[in-house]
Amino acid sequence: MTRTKMVAALVGAAALAACNGPRRIHERPVLANGDRVASSDSAVASVAAETAAEREEATARRDAGLAAAAAECAPAVCAALARGELALSMTEAQVMAATRSAEAAWSVRRAGDAAVMVARHADAAPRDATGQVALVQLAGGRVSSYSYREPQGLRVVSAPADATAEGRARATSEALIREGDDLNAAGDRVRALDRYDRALALRPDDAMLNYRVATLLDLQLRPLEASIRYRRFLQELEIQKIQAVGDANAKLAEAIARAQQRIIVLERQAR
Amino acid sequence: MPRTSPLPRHASARSAARLARRGRHRARTVAIAVLLVVAAACNNKRVSRIEPTSVTDLSGRWNDADSRLVANELIEQSLGGAWSKRYAEAHGGQAPTVIVGGFGNRTMEHIPVGTFVKDLERAFVNSGAVRVVADAGERQEVRAEREDQQANATADSRARLAREQGANYMLQGEVQAIEDAEGREKVVYYQVDAALVDLESNAKVWVGQHKIKKYIDRRRIGW
Repeated sequence: MTRTKMVAALVGAAALAACNGPRRIHERPVLANGDRVASSDSAVASVAAETAAEREEATARRDAGLAAAAAECAPAVCAALARGELALSMTEAQVMAATRSAEAAWSVRRAGDAAVMVARHADAAPRDATGQVALVQLAGGRVSSYSYREPQGLRVVSAPADATAEGRARATSEALIREGDDLNAAGDRVRALDRYDRALALRPDDAMLNYRVATLLDLQLRPLEASIRYRRFLQELEIQKIQAVGDANAKLAEAIARAQQRIIVLERQAR
Repeated sequence: MPRTSPLPRHASARSAARLARRGRHRARTVAIAVLLVVAAACNNKRVSRIEPTSVTDLSGRWNDADSRLVANELIEQSLGGAWSKRYAEAHGGQAPTVIVGGFGNRTMEHIPVGTFVKDLERAFVNSGAVRVVADAGERQEVRAEREDQQANATADSRARLAREQGANYMLQGEVQAIEDAEGREKVVYYQVDAALVDLESNAKVWVGQHKIKKYIDRRRIGW
């Protein structure tokens, strides 16, 4: 009886020891039951205070820059500033005012009289009302050209005409035609046609573009569409020819009138 | 055969009956006591309000403490990052606008990701460093209300159409888990990744991460 009890006690002790076997991982817990997870409210509050101060400073700096930029601007530049657009012959301060950006957003490289402004961080590039500004070139302290980062690549504005809607459409369509030509050369006619079609939406009267589209459609064995495009090409040429003749005649008429005037003057002088 | 006295016989019968009665009475008392104990054991529910910031690990699965740890870490990393300052510098001090996108749970466990995502959203708004716009689900209700106002609200009080603030960045992320178990021991590793993606360029302007490793030891008897 005693032996049985002893055996039972031993088995019990062994079972207990087995239940609470040695741990294989001995790591001190970084957080245990009953501990507290700190609230992030104080960290957020400190960021809020810091942000408010920074924003106040940035707003004051921006407003001062805007006031200074507007104080000495030509009418065209002033209008561009009000619209939030870049314009040729702006100063460095006016560029920042037009893009509502701070000095810290730009990296300015100077070489003698010239300077180039580029975005300091590619992921937060300054932008004006038209788009993301990639580069601004200054000569003699005034903007001589600037470029936008657009889906077709960089679009450069170096003349007032480039900044208009027509100028922008021209630059975009040229980029699309270039892209289409490259794709065509690479044998990707479907994508090339897509680029030409998009360019055609911006320049519907371009005879050569119509011809390019017609040829591609012809090569893709789409005769109906190709013949429409060929006709459109010829029609555009006719219109251009008429316009050219009209222009030539206008110039000729001017020359005839001038010649007649000169004959009268010269005859009078001879008398 | 001499007759034995009948009196003791009667007395023993009486005492036996008395004993039986006493036994029955005791049995009844014990039964009542057991019933009382059982009844008391059935009604052992205890509810108490405890501090929401306290760590209370019961099963070892994902819980509120993990959610808060992740939220705190992501808040610290995102608000401490340079991305919002860069944006403000390039945009006249304006705060960047963020929309909450998909936050996937790629674990086998049920993890309500909304708890820490909402904490992060709250921190963004309260800090003033980041603006947050209603996400795809929330804005449907707002748009429906705005549409309704066009027909039913007075002209001076109705919200105008097409005045929504467009977001610059989208917050996306996911939770992943790796489990390793042997016998009664288990290790669960959670990795929470979050990123802010530029909606125009797809560039990731900020990436945050938090890792949690749990060791679960299921002892049958422990002290």
